[in-house]
Amino acid sequence: MNKKYCMVIDSSVCIDCKACMVSCKVQHKVPRGYWRNWIKHSTPDFSLGKHTSMHFQPGGCMQCDNPTCVYACPSGATYKDEETGIIHVNEDLCIGCGNCVKACPYHARYRHPVKRVPDKCDFCRERLHMGLLPACVDTCPTKARTFGDRNDPDSEVSRLLKENETVRIVSRPVDTEPNMFYISSTMPMDWPGQVEYPAAHQAMTGFVNPLVKIAVGLSGLGVAAMFLKQLFTDDETSQDKEKEEV
Amino acid sequence: MNEKMIHRHDKPAIFIHWFNAFCWIFLTLTGLGLIKNDQINPVGAWWPNLMRSIFGSGEMLLNFHIYIGLTWAVVFILYILFRFKDSMGFLKEAFSINPSRDASWLIKKNIQLTLGNGALRKMGMTTDIPAQGFYNAGQKLFAQLTIVAGIILTITGLIMYLSTMILDNPTPVAWSRTIHFLMAGLAFAGLLVHIYMAAISREEKPAFKSMFSGVVPEDYAKHHHELWYKEVKNKS
Repeated sequence: MNKKYCMVIDSSVCIDCKACMVSCKVQHKVPRGYWRNWIKHSTPDFSLGKHTSMHFQPGGCMQCDNPTCVYACPSGATYKDEETGIIHVNEDLCIGCGNCVKACPYHARYRHPVKRVPDKCDFCRERLHMGLLPACVDTCPTKARTFGDRNDPDSEVSRLLKENETVRIVSRPVDTEPNMFYISSTMPMDWPGQVEYPAAHQAMTGFVNPLVKIAVGLSGLGVAAMFLKQLFTDDETSQDKEKEEV
Repeated sequence: MNEKMIHRHDKPAIFIHWFNAFCWIFLTLTGLGLIKNDQINPVGAWWPNLMRSIFGSGEMLLNFHIYIGLTWAVVFILYILFRFKDSMGFLKEAFSINPSRDASWLIKKNIQLTLGNGALRKMGMTTDIPAQGFYNAGQKLFAQLTIVAGIILTITGLIMYLSTMILDNPTPVAWSRTIHFLMAGLAFAGLLVHIYMAAISREEKPAFKSMFSGVVPEDYAKHHHELWYKEVKNKS
């Protein structure tokens, strides 16, 4: 059976140590100034005095089931792996148009400054092949992140999802159906951007593609009409007509 | 039939025509296979899947598309440089438009070829078609389309090719992809008519043959390209 990898996060135990971010950065040689994953935090309300608190929220690519990045990619370079549910980038097929980077409401992608192709969390593909957990999960001292296969009913994530209420951080106006679940509740919730496809992509789907179809369709119709007419007028009559013209 | 023949195309022109034909058809087929997105796929997902199977993988398909495209551009630019006078002559020919004559030719010829002379008469038009030069109005239109499309396809193609090597801003690349598809699509729409006219239509058979032999029968030239025919006759 196909796997469906996901992450279940208990953000209440996150202590904002940033070990997940560091280990990810080391594992994937993420260039300076860029990150594949993150820890976000709520805005503290200091008027509460000694009860002031902050909530930390680990995150990363949500490996969505309704992936706007995949929809924005013109060449199929960004794709969802059917066998694992992980969204990958085929760097050799990518032309670096940046559509997917803009289309992700979670800002989970960045354009690699040297390779000039998008880079993102892939649940540490290489480590999974070796039977290891993703670096961020492995390194987390409070075990806030749990990783596993949702399709396996005996997995730790399936157990957590069964035993707990979970929330997902969804974008607007489309639900991207993320595969990252937060146990009971988490903060902040309102940070994803709108799902917005770049103008070049909108022009492609909304205008250029229909226009080309109409142009080719009309041209094809014209050719078909000419062919039919030629088919049903024999040589002689057309010769006659030519004479008539002259 | 021992018709007199008139010289129409020389050997390099015939070579570049068939070189163009091969490259453009190859690039159209592979290019269509490179678009793999359920929202865009112009003919459905089977085509990109088929192309990727034939070439082994999407990466190989992309490489073939890029390098055949670059080869086309380089050879064509060399051709223009080495035959600068002829190329400029072609440009002048393709863009010398006589609005009233060309418009009348386009309307009448289209009706005549699809609906017949009867339809022309019913619409209150005469069946005489305006005389044409070296290229008829339809050929000129297709020539203009391919010239504009060729230039834009080369530029946008180069932008996409260089994107992951030197371009830090992805926006021109995204637009290049859209414009590249637009121009290729329009050129393909024109190409359908061009191929039909040359290879299938009865009337233009001599023109098709001349793309191998370089010559057309005098009678054909007189009927189809009267202005050019008179020009040739006056010269000799």
